[in-house]
Amino acid sequence: MAELRVVGQPVPREDAVDKVTGAARYTTDLALPGTLRAAILTSPHASARIVRIDTSAALAVPGVRAVLTGADLDIRLGLYLRDKRILARDVVRYQGEAVAAVAADTLDAAREACHLLRVEYQELPAVFDPRDARKPEAPLVHPDLATYDHMRGVFFPKAGTNIAHHQKVRKGDSAAALAASDVCLEVSFDNPPVQHVPMETHAAIAHALPGGRVEVWTSSQSPYTVRHLLALAFGMPHAAIRVHVPHVGGGFGGKAGLGLEPLAYVLSRACGGRPVEIAMTREEEFNTTPSRQGLYSTIRLGATRDGRLTALEAEYVWDAGAYADYGVNVGRAAAYSGAGPYALDHCSIDSYVVYTNKVYGTAYRGFGHLEVLWGVERAMDRMARALGLDPVEFRRRNLLREGATTITGEPFTNGHGKPIECLEAAAEAIGWGRRPSAPSAPHKVRGKGVAMLHKAPAMPTYTSCAAIVKLDEDGAADVLVSGVDYGQGTYTVLRQVAAEELGLPIDKVHITWECDTAMTPYDWQTVASRFAYMGGNAVIEACADCLCQLRAVAAGALGVPADGLVCRDGKVFPRQDPARGIAYKDLALGYTFPNGNSIGGPVIGHGRYIATGLTNLDPETGQGRPAQFWTYGAHAVEIEVDTETGEIEVLRIATALDAGKVLNPLLCRGQVVGGIVQGLGSAVLEGFRFDDKGRLLNPNFVDYKIPTAKDLPREIVPILLENPQPGGPYGARGVAEHPMISVPSAIGNALRDALGIEFESLPLSSERVLEKILVARAPRPDTP
Amino acid sequence: MLGRFDYERPTNLAEAVRLFAETPSAAILAGGTDLLVELRSGRHAPRLLVDVKRVDGLRRLDVGPRGDLTIGAAVSLNELLEHAATRWSFPGLAQAAASIATYQLRNRATVTGNLCNASPAADLAPALLVLGAAVGVAGPRGARVIPVAEFFAGVKRTTLRRGEIATEVRIPAPEPELRSAFLKQQRLRGHDLAVANVAGALAPSTGTLRLAFGSCAPTPILLAPIETKGMSAVAVGAAAAAATLAAASPISDVRASAEYRRAVLPVLVRRVVAELLGGGAT
Amino acid sequence: MNGRLETATVPAGMTLLEFLRGRLCLVGTKEGCGIGECGACTVLLDGKPVTACLVLAVEADGGAVDTIEGEARDGELSALQKAFIEAGAIQCGFCTPGMIMSARGLLRRIPNPTDDEIVEAMAGNLCRCTGYEAILEAVRVAAQAKAVPHAGQMVAGQSAGGSGSQGGRLSSPRVPGEGGGRG
Repeated sequence: MAELRVVGQPVPREDAVDKVTGAARYTTDLALPGTLRAAILTSPHASARIVRIDTSAALAVPGVRAVLTGADLDIRLGLYLRDKRILARDVVRYQGEAVAAVAADTLDAAREACHLLRVEYQELPAVFDPRDARKPEAPLVHPDLATYDHMRGVFFPKAGTNIAHHQKVRKGDSAAALAASDVCLEVSFDNPPVQHVPMETHAAIAHALPGGRVEVWTSSQSPYTVRHLLALAFGMPHAAIRVHVPHVGGGFGGKAGLGLEPLAYVLSRACGGRPVEIAMTREEEFNTTPSRQGLYSTIRLGATRDGRLTALEAEYVWDAGAYADYGVNVGRAAAYSGAGPYALDHCSIDSYVVYTNKVYGTAYRGFGHLEVLWGVERAMDRMARALGLDPVEFRRRNLLREGATTITGEPFTNGHGKPIECLEAAAEAIGWGRRPSAPSAPHKVRGKGVAMLHKAPAMPTYTSCAAIVKLDEDGAADVLVSGVDYGQGTYTVLRQVAAEELGLPIDKVHITWECDTAMTPYDWQTVASRFAYMGGNAVIEACADCLCQLRAVAAGALGVPADGLVCRDGKVFPRQDPARGIAYKDLALGYTFPNGNSIGGPVIGHGRYIATGLTNLDPETGQGRPAQFWTYGAHAVEIEVDTETGEIEVLRIATALDAGKVLNPLLCRGQVVGGIVQGLGSAVLEGFRFDDKGRLLNPNFVDYKIPTAKDLPREIVPILLENPQPGGPYGARGVAEHPMISVPSAIGNALRDALGIEFESLPLSSERVLEKILVARAPRPDTP
Repeated sequence: MLGRFDYERPTNLAEAVRLFAETPSAAILAGGTDLLVELRSGRHAPRLLVDVKRVDGLRRLDVGPRGDLTIGAAVSLNELLEHAATRWSFPGLAQAAASIATYQLRNRATVTGNLCNASPAADLAPALLVLGAAVGVAGPRGARVIPVAEFFAGVKRTTLRRGEIATEVRIPAPEPELRSAFLKQQRLRGHDLAVANVAGALAPSTGTLRLAFGSCAPTPILLAPIETKGMSAVAVGAAAAAATLAAASPISDVRASAEYRRAVLPVLVRRVVAELLGGGAT
Repeated sequence: MNGRLETATVPAGMTLLEFLRGRLCLVGTKEGCGIGECGACTVLLDGKPVTACLVLAVEADGGAVDTIEGEARDGELSALQKAFIEAGAIQCGFCTPGMIMSARGLLRRIPNPTDDEIVEAMAGNLCRCTGYEAILEAVRVAAQAKAVPHAGQMVAGQSAGGSGSQGGRLSSPRVPGEGGGRG
């Protein structure tokens, strides 16, 4: 490959200037003239029949323009399974579910009206634990599940149960292989639901227009998915819906699907077409918008005495909450990834996504992999110990390598990257094999742990996107895409790709920040760490289209064949005669000869990318090709534990990812460090707490804590390997989600090393750690 | 909007007392870091806020001739922390103040407000209890002084009478070479309310150790003085831990279980004692 | 208000945050939680960082308020703003205005802060994207740029970007001797 000028450089974000000056506009900063403000009333009950709602006092509040309840809205929504209403209709299925909404001249009036709504509920039986929800006698969260429309052939809801989806993976004969194994173990693990906590809560503005059209501004990761799902829900042509996405204040998967947009739209309609803005309070963000699903897992491993894995069986029971949303696809993706990055001839996985009466789950950075690998990577450590093997050595013997196949039957090649190199690099960086350094106090102990991670984009087989690159009068280029840069940095990377391909300096390439389904070309969704990969490929193709147009016009202008022309440094010139170049600015709108004759026209390139070679998975065996690419990695940590209080301090965490190619080291490092700290939150702090009535006990920042600047590991060591990905732009793979995955696993393994105690539940809070220490130290009843 | 109420900003104490006492359902606004959260939630809906930050004298932060300290009701936690005499004479109080909330909130939150809010977890309470501090009060029937040890009546309840305003916190002159310390257990290193907190003060000349703790009972609790003369730090720690547990009645909440509080409270006590007494006997 | 006099009549129940965003259209200041826990709405009131969601607008009467909109002067980014850009301290950007105002308050109070002072000043601002490391580094760099004349050149150019390839933790050298200067 020719030497790269721009790709691979630490180019700062172009939007950063707007963000450091306060000029960047997020949804609630927009303020269209005449915009009304909306508020919602949420259910205090986890499961109840709505007997009646008295709206009269609410409607009498001065400034109130509309009050809507579920009774007004006979529409079902859903990504993969249409099980949800815009506002609860007839029944509420979780505490926090929106029951009614008010639009008014001011937010204060809307809130006052919500307080005056009188809702009569009749409480119904509820179920909160997905393991209970699978029992035959469990109350059904969706008694009408059989009638719901869903994506057939991919998802399999079980009528008459709470199972929204059951994903199977079958490879070889795991039962026989386990029976024949020298060593077997079975362990159960659990993860609580957690929240994404984007700093910007969900917000949307809708403006219902004459002729059945609507314009929407939303804090969404996925403008085209919002448009598509609105079109399906309301039976509107796609062209009648225009979705804008301004700056988005973080998403992490929580803004991937349909959020507040339908509600904003029906409120705007009800107010005669006044624009309506709705934004979640932080409490509503916790109580009402979706979270990461909880998980209960049981894993059985078999191995030979010499340290070869023989089989893995797993049962994953996901706590979907009240609606399926992305949860069913999390259950699917985490099943086909559900054995970790190991070579296994025999594997059986059952992943059940189970409805409960809790806030519903959705995509969250890692898409089920952090949860599943919490169990798998803890189990691998236990197996290593059972075999008397070093955990790194045990993994090295069993990781995927060329010649092996994944559990869905995909051959593993060198193009997949090098998981073993990741493991070794991370382990080396924390001095694996040397005992931990001396603790800082007598009541503290230290330990080390490693964990592997892997993930592929979970997306439909037909996922596609497009890019447009147009040249300006001054010869600069504009890139238009509809993936959203909600912080991860992809727009900067796409600018670098375009600059590289077009032969322009980076400051001559811009990207249109706002996505607009009427202006920017299609992209499926901004999820799954696939935007740089797919969008990058689309931009490369669009640039090639531009160059082809530039060369054609320059060929006419210079009277030479187009295929002898080179595009570099903003000029097109004959290979043998660089001095005869024509600047892009003189070609961008067409070339004009000295006598006034003109040829060409505005240069606009178009590029596309569609997922290639993916197949639907066999419903009975899960065999098939689910992944465009896989990204592998490993964490190694050294921790110190206060044995009197249970506090964990991460002294050092080394994270090695096989990125294929680092397109921008500054931003890539930002993804890694940010992901590690987010993973640390899942590891030691975060989790929803519910009371016995299903009420969320920590729906705010006083009670739900995320890491602060005081909670960083003492040292973070990002390590990025570059074993290129065939088909990736410059060989790159996605790395946005991965740094977060398996951070809890590595810390759990280090905790075992430090204390000799096994932990199965997250988070590894001080309280949980101390509780286990005290139990372990308590004298056994049968000892004197 | 945080509600519909009137706002008054008196400049003298008599006016503040009159406004507060005359208006049914009035609230005192000092730092506002607890009050405004209550207003936003709708749990509290006063008709009048009396902002005392510009009342004459309430910004005082004075060291008396013998080293006693008076902290006016408008003094913020950061102002206390930036006050050199506090950090030299009362390090435990400074540690407690520094452990509260965030830097931004400490620019607003007041010393007096931390007491008046009467949270069982108030971090300044144990630190002030071991210093023998008192709260100066002004009311329609005149001024009085309430020892901090008698200030808390229960969860979120004080012994202030109707119409009374806490105007200052008074810390008596410290005994010679008084040592003090504060420790707090929280869920993370970043800002959090206390799972448990412990303050201690030791007068080396007499060997008297005072200990107080919070977030493990309906109110912060001051233990009876412990005589440490001739005892090892370990022995004092053990005795103090036992006394603390005997006085504690923690509950389980979203921050921690009662069991965890019972487990870490003696740890904090022993650590505070070790810090004050050092390794050996006094 | 950012050095200009603003005159307004407001209801007593209006927060400073609502006043800034709703009345003055200074929407650079963000609401993240409404209860003072996240720091997204940090502004300077009389030079000190406060969370504007927990200040009544009337309390700012007669005071000086600085917001993110006043940070750049005459279209020129401050050294602090440049350092945030160059250090990669920004992802989604929603916390950024509050972060910069917290840092501004710190550097006004302590022009050459220690690492502990930086962490203490910034820990009241939550960020879910960056993991904070680059933010703390940006404050460090800005402090040094201010403390050492001509260092502004270093952050203004694109070449300061070595931060992308640093292997380990941020370890800017500290100038010894400060830290005792406060209070």
